[in-house]
Amino acid sequence: MEFRELPPVKEQIMKCVRCGKCRELCPVFGEIGIENASPRGHVFMVQMLRDGKVEPTSEVYERLGQCLMCETCSANCPSGIDVHELNAAARAYLTQNNPNRGKDFLYGNFWTKPELMKQSIKLASLAQRMGLQKLARNIGLTRLLPGDLKDAEKILEHIPPRSARSTLPAFTPAQGGTKYRVGYFLGCGTDFLSPEIAQATVNVLSRNGCEVYIPEGLKCCGLPHIANGKLDVAQQLTIHNINLFKKLNVDYIITDCGSCSATLTEKNLHFVLQGTTYQEEAADFAARVMDLTVFLVDVLDIQVDVHTDRKWRVTYHDPCHLVNAQGITAQPRELLRRIPGVELVEMPQAASCCGGSGTYSVTHHQVSMQILDKKMSNAVSTGADILATCCPSCIMQLNFGCRRSNWDAEVLHPVVLLDRVYQQAPAAV
Amino acid sequence: MNNLDIKKELVKMLGPDKVLTNDLDLMYYSYDSSFLTKLQPATPTAVVLPVSTAAVQQVVRFAYENGINIIPRGAGTGETGGCVATEGGIVIDLSRWREIVEIDVNNMQVMVRPGVIHADLNDELAKFNLFFPPDPGSSKMCTVGGMVANNASGLRAVKYWTTEPYVLGLEVVTPTGDVIITGGQQARCIKNVSGLNLTKLMVGSEGVLGIVTLIRLRCFPRPMARGIAMAVFDHLDDAPATVLDVYQAGVLPSGIEILDGSAIKAVNDFKPQINLPDAEAILLFEVDGNPPGVEFEGQIIKEVAGRRARQVEWSTDKKRMAELWEGRSITATAAARVRSDGSRIFAGEDISVPISKVAEVLRAIRALGDKYGIKVVNYGHIGDGNVHCAPVINPEQPHEVELVQKLVDDIHLLAIEMNGSTTGEHGVGAARRGYAVLEHGPAVEYMKKVKAAFDPKGIMNPGKLF
Ligand SMILES: Cc1cc2nc3c(=O)[nH]c(=O)nc-3n(C[C@H](O)[C@H](O)[C@H](O)COP(=O)(O)OP(=O)(O)OC[C@H]3O[C@@H](n4cnc5c(N)ncnc54)[C@H](O)[C@@H]3O)c2cc1C
Ligand code: SF4
Ligand code: SF4
Repeated sequence: MEFRELPPVKEQIMKCVRCGKCRELCPVFGEIGIENASPRGHVFMVQMLRDGKVEPTSEVYERLGQCLMCETCSANCPSGIDVHELNAAARAYLTQNNPNRGKDFLYGNFWTKPELMKQSIKLASLAQRMGLQKLARNIGLTRLLPGDLKDAEKILEHIPPRSARSTLPAFTPAQGGTKYRVGYFLGCGTDFLSPEIAQATVNVLSRNGCEVYIPEGLKCCGLPHIANGKLDVAQQLTIHNINLFKKLNVDYIITDCGSCSATLTEKNLHFVLQGTTYQEEAADFAARVMDLTVFLVDVLDIQVDVHTDRKWRVTYHDPCHLVNAQGITAQPRELLRRIPGVELVEMPQAASCCGGSGTYSVTHHQVSMQILDKKMSNAVSTGADILATCCPSCIMQLNFGCRRSNWDAEVLHPVVLLDRVYQQAPAAV
Repeated sequence: MNNLDIKKELVKMLGPDKVLTNDLDLMYYSYDSSFLTKLQPATPTAVVLPVSTAAVQQVVRFAYENGINIIPRGAGTGETGGCVATEGGIVIDLSRWREIVEIDVNNMQVMVRPGVIHADLNDELAKFNLFFPPDPGSSKMCTVGGMVANNASGLRAVKYWTTEPYVLGLEVVTPTGDVIITGGQQARCIKNVSGLNLTKLMVGSEGVLGIVTLIRLRCFPRPMARGIAMAVFDHLDDAPATVLDVYQAGVLPSGIEILDGSAIKAVNDFKPQINLPDAEAILLFEVDGNPPGVEFEGQIIKEVAGRRARQVEWSTDKKRMAELWEGRSITATAAARVRSDGSRIFAGEDISVPISKVAEVLRAIRALGDKYGIKVVNYGHIGDGNVHCAPVINPEQPHEVELVQKLVDDIHLLAIEMNGSTTGEHGVGAARRGYAVLEHGPAVEYMKKVKAAFDPKGIMNPGKLF
């Protein structure tokens, strides 16, 4: 669909009253303090693009690209503007006008092919274990990378050797009778960066009476593509995934990644699929998609009757894509409370962004680290020994934050802790 | 001096990280919240982001020597184009200068730099059981410097008045590049009648007399308790009448706010959990003070308002109070929700009229809206006669823009005719300067003389106020 015809561009820009409420809420503006980094500024610039007052140049992309898509502005705009959607629409338009071969390969090719990604992750992990990264650093290869990438690459340390999909079966039966047929939307972050979450998710779902299906050929939810101006690719991925799950005919489509579930909401799919005939199917698909913690608490209403002598002081970080995009705050906390041995302590500003946002911590390293440091000081103040959150991208960033702030808390998804407790008392089959 | 040289000099002076020179970056400073700058954005020659008095002074001296306009800017939440370079020049963005220099608890005052956000200041003061009472709807985004320059007030002006009485002294960089301290060079006192009151002159001067770089503010002890009464009316006219009834009953609430039927709908649409009742109007009365006093006054309001209202809800529950107060605070922007293809505009949005005439004015505004076929959402600080009108139009339809400008003009004229003012708190800026003579007559010439005394070259925020 043509940029100017996209519904947010057509309908929402004029609704911005430029009140500035979003300025102070934006984590990026909070660090940069210049109007070109504020959500209000982004809406303005998208308008300038639409009206042809500025050319669709890479300079404009740079300004809009400062946004890390946390959706805080959109969730709080009294006029109801989806600032992040406007930004995504503009990025797609700008990308069309500024072709970039690296980006085309990364988002148009690499990130659409799970096999290719798996192989590369294997390689990366191998390289790490063999110390090649250190070697590359020593011979100055990393100097070829822009400025702070040298530091940024450290975030990607500890890439697990095997992806979740290479170890998990396509089907896992329910234990103790089937309550639901569940499709597991195993996102890229969980798959490649935190495979232990995937294992725990499958274990916990199965233990609580769910048959778990991981569809063969499942692809990325499309969020990295939306955020990087590849809306067309996101559209193809979405359609592919919808068709895949249609065949499975499951009751629920569960994901443990806040970003995936946010991308698969009806509202977001409506945005991604505009101009296609898939809107209706998307609505049906989206109606089945649910965040894992919501499913465990609201649908299964699990009670964890397992005894443990362990005690954990846990604090919870709200991933932007759960709190802002979906308003989910209660269920992850409730799930943690239901885990025996957990004492939940709130950190100040639990809902403020961690600055991770996928590749943002690499592409905008300095700002990302400033945001992270604020998050960490709030988290550390709780004296917790576990920092829980429901998004693999946040987990990666917060892990790095722990290392940066010399804090030895463990960062994990609540389901991993739950699974750990379950493992102490295997279910009667 | 050409624009390129100006930019070069500024970069040399402050360093590249404190100057914006790229055309694209400058465009972002072509607007504030006003409708005026939506229609007529004005891009500055350069933007500087100083965080020291010396840096501000350097820029001002440079501008003075070269006859270049300078325009101070806070968060750009003003609604009059006040911080926009409508006649070109250098914008001095002070919003990154966020230092709370000192909280002097023993003397009940605080020293802040201009970029401190109002809500952040009160969060800090709360730690010392103090507060800075003026409470604009833009509390979470506007700067204290902007509040001083606009003499902002807001929801609690009924009892606590505007910013002005709290400003004890200021550090100001004058348009000639001098640095002066008003209110006594070394003073830490609260009462002070020595000398001509330059502090008062500066407060509300909208950046046309100088740049405020340090603000000494008086603080009050934080009230121990609060309560909110919500009165629901089937007839709009009953709301202003009830305000007078409550005053007559001997109660001075800390805030009295009105939302008309369409404002109620807008709030409920944005935050359904606030769940305001469907009605022609609601009034929110806030009472603060000591706990028994709050309860006592709350009951009086309940009884008095109940005579005309369909229903009165009295609450001291923190969550409910926060919801109701937030509901009112967000109305300004949420008003856009009453029309799916519309946006509220900030124009004609701030008239102030005698309390006795509020009902008449609200009726007249409704009639004007009907005349032009434009939906107008009304809300505001009814307790002091400050009515906020939010015309909701599709700003991309030229005929609607044309009509709304006529409507806005009529609203401003109505205010003057009703013995009021075109603006109660948002200021004049560029948007309302055309009414200066009508409102003030020959006094405008004296305003100009005062400005000329400070600003002989006329470089300081020109094109504003008159
Ligand atoms: C949604 C919304 C609700 C609002 N509610 C209220 C309300 O309830 N009450 C109210 O009074 N106002 C309200 N306002 C208006 C506005 O927020 C206030 O006038 C505020 O004080 C402006 O602050 P700012 O930092 O945004 O200033 P700006 O808009 O940046 O500037 C305002 C004026 O001050 C001048 N200025 C700024 N800083 C300095 C300085 N350091 N030295 C000298 N001059 C300076 C500028 O040149 C300009 O003329 C509201 C605005 C919005 C968008
Ligand atoms: S996007 Fe929303 S919150 Fe931000 S300036 Fe526009 S109307 Fe205000
Ligand atoms: S999505 Fe987040 S980072 Fe982007 S503009 Fe909005 S608040 Fe800022």
